[in-house]
Amino acid sequence: MSGGVYGGDEVGALVFDIGHYSVRAGFAGEDSLKAEIPSMVGYLDEVPDNSMEVDSQPAPTAQRKHFIDTTSIHVPRKGVEMTTFLKDGMIEDWDLFEKMLDHVYAKHVKSDPKLHPVLMSEAAWNVRSKRERLTEIMFEKYNIPAFFLVKNAVLSAFANGRSTGIVVDSGASQTSAVPIHDGFVLQQMIVKSPLAGDFITMQCRQYFEEHNIEIVPPYQIASKEAVNEGAVPKWTKKTNIPEVSKSWHNYMVKEVIQDFQACVLQVHDAPYDKETIENMPTVHYEFPNGFNQDFGCERFSIPEALFDPSNIKGVPGSVMGIAQIVTTSVGMCDVDIKPALYGSVIVTGGNTLIQGFTDRLNRDLSTKTPPSMRLKLLSPVGTAERRYAAWIGGSILASLGTFQQMWISKQEYDEGGKSQVERKCP
Amino acid sequence: MSSGVTVSTEAKTVYEEVKKDRKYRYIIYHIKDERVIDVESTGPRDATYADFLEELNKFKTECRYCVFDFPANIPVEGSQDTQSMSVNRLILMRWCPEGARVKQKMLYSSSYEALKRALVGIYKYIQACEFEEASQAAIDDAFRKSGGK
Repeated sequence: MSGGVYGGDEVGALVFDIGHYSVRAGFAGEDSLKAEIPSMVGYLDEVPDNSMEVDSQPAPTAQRKHFIDTTSIHVPRKGVEMTTFLKDGMIEDWDLFEKMLDHVYAKHVKSDPKLHPVLMSEAAWNVRSKRERLTEIMFEKYNIPAFFLVKNAVLSAFANGRSTGIVVDSGASQTSAVPIHDGFVLQQMIVKSPLAGDFITMQCRQYFEEHNIEIVPPYQIASKEAVNEGAVPKWTKKTNIPEVSKSWHNYMVKEVIQDFQACVLQVHDAPYDKETIENMPTVHYEFPNGFNQDFGCERFSIPEALFDPSNIKGVPGSVMGIAQIVTTSVGMCDVDIKPALYGSVIVTGGNTLIQGFTDRLNRDLSTKTPPSMRLKLLSPVGTAERRYAAWIGGSILASLGTFQQMWISKQEYDEGGKSQVERKCP
Repeated sequence: MSSGVTVSTEAKTVYEEVKKDRKYRYIIYHIKDERVIDVESTGPRDATYADFLEELNKFKTECRYCVFDFPANIPVEGSQDTQSMSVNRLILMRWCPEGARVKQKMLYSSSYEALKRALVGIYKYIQACEFEEASQAAIDDAFRKSGGK
C-alpha cells in the first residue's frame, strides 16, 4: 500500500454520499448501499436540570451524548435535541460529522478505516477550506490509505451517460441546477433555490394547521380504532412518554408528513388550474392516529409551489420556480454549450420522485427552450437510481481498476499536504 | 475528473489513418477490460453514414465511441469548382444508449476525456443517448450551428 500511486484494488473502497436527508454509505462495486443513515442526529447534554435549554452554540463537552441512525433516534428520550452537521449541502459541524463517520465505520462497515480507500461526494459549490479540512480529517484521524472527493452532480451526470449537461438536483434542503461541461462543473453558473422537499413538508404542515388536522407521530400512539372518513380519530395516548424536546417532536412529525408527501402529492402536468384539478381523482390517506380523508386539489396545489412560487405565502417574490432555475443557469453559460445543456437535463434527487415532477418540468422547460434547441430530460426510472444516482456513480467509479491511479494516496498526502485535494480532485 | 482509462496506440494510429490516409470511413472504439480504449471495428471507405447507423444499431445496450469521417463540399467564394474545396469533417461520438447498464455509462462518460485529448483534429463532438441524437439530421444540425468556425 505504499508508493506514489495507490495500488491496492484488492480491498474494497468505501463510497459516501452525503445529503441533507441521509448519508449513503457502501462498498464500491456493489449495486446497493450498505447503509442509509438519517442526517439528523440526536444529542443530549447531560447537564442536570436545564437540559431543555440549549443555547445556539453550545461547546461540545465530554458529557454530550449522541444518538445516530434510524433506530436510535426514534426512541423518545428526555431532552434529546435534533440537529444536523450540514448546512447548505456542506459540512458545518465537524465534530458531529466525525461522530457520524465513527458510527458508520463501527456499525455498518465493521472494518478498520485504514484498510479502505474512501470516495466521497460533495456539493458542487463546496469551498476549498472545507474540502481541505475533510481531506485532513480522513487522512489524519481515520488514517485511510487513499481518498477522493468528487462533485455529486458530476457523478449523477456520468451515471446517466453524459459528461456535458445540466443536473437538476431536487433533494431535501434545496433544488439546484448545476451545469457541467466535459465533466467539469461550471461553478459560476450554479443556481440554487430552497424550494425542495423540506419546503414542501413545511407547506403541508401549514395546510394541516389551517385545516385543523393534527399530526400525531406514531411514538405517541398507544392504540387506535378505525374511524369513518373525516371523523374525529379515536386513539389513546401512550402514558409513559418522557418529556421530549420540541425539535425531536418536530422531526417525528416531519417523518409522518414525508410519508404523506410520498403517497399523496402529485405535480399537475400543466400550470395549476382549479377547475381541471377538481376533476382529478382523489387519494385516500390515513394518518398514524387513524384520521383518514380523501385529498383532492390540495394534492396538486401544494407541490405546485415548486414550479410556480408566485402565489405562496411567506416566500419573498424573488424565489424562482424549478424551470426558471434551469433556464437562469443555462442563460449564464456560453452560447456554444447551451444546446448541449438543453439537450441533457439530468433530473435527480429524492424530491423529484413526486408523481408528475419530470413531466411538468419537461413541459415548463419546453416553453422556455429556444426553438432552435432540442430539449431532452434524462432521469433514471427506478426510485433507487434517482435517489442514489450519485452514490451508484461513485461506486462504479471507485471500483474501476484504472481509477486506482487517480486517488490521493496516503503518501501523496504525507508529502504534499491537504492541498493535494485541489490538485487531484478538481 | 476522469477514470484513468488510457488510449491504446492502435486507437491513435487508426485514427491517423482515417485522418491522413483516408483509409476507413469510420472507427468504432470500445473499452477493453475496463482499462484501455481500443479499436473494435472499422468501416470501409465506401460506407455511408446510413451504413454506420446500421452498425450502431447493434449496440442497443452497449456504449461505444465512434469516429466518422464526413465528406463535405464547401463552396468557395468566387469559384465555380466546388470539388476543389472538398474537406473532411471528423466527428467523435460518444454513444451511451439509455438501455445500457449504469456501469457502462459511467465508464464511458468518465473515460471520454482521455480519448478526446488523444484524437487531434475532431470537427464536432456529439453525445448521443438515442438514435435521434445520432441521426443525419442531428449531425447536420450540429454542423450548421458552428457555421463559420
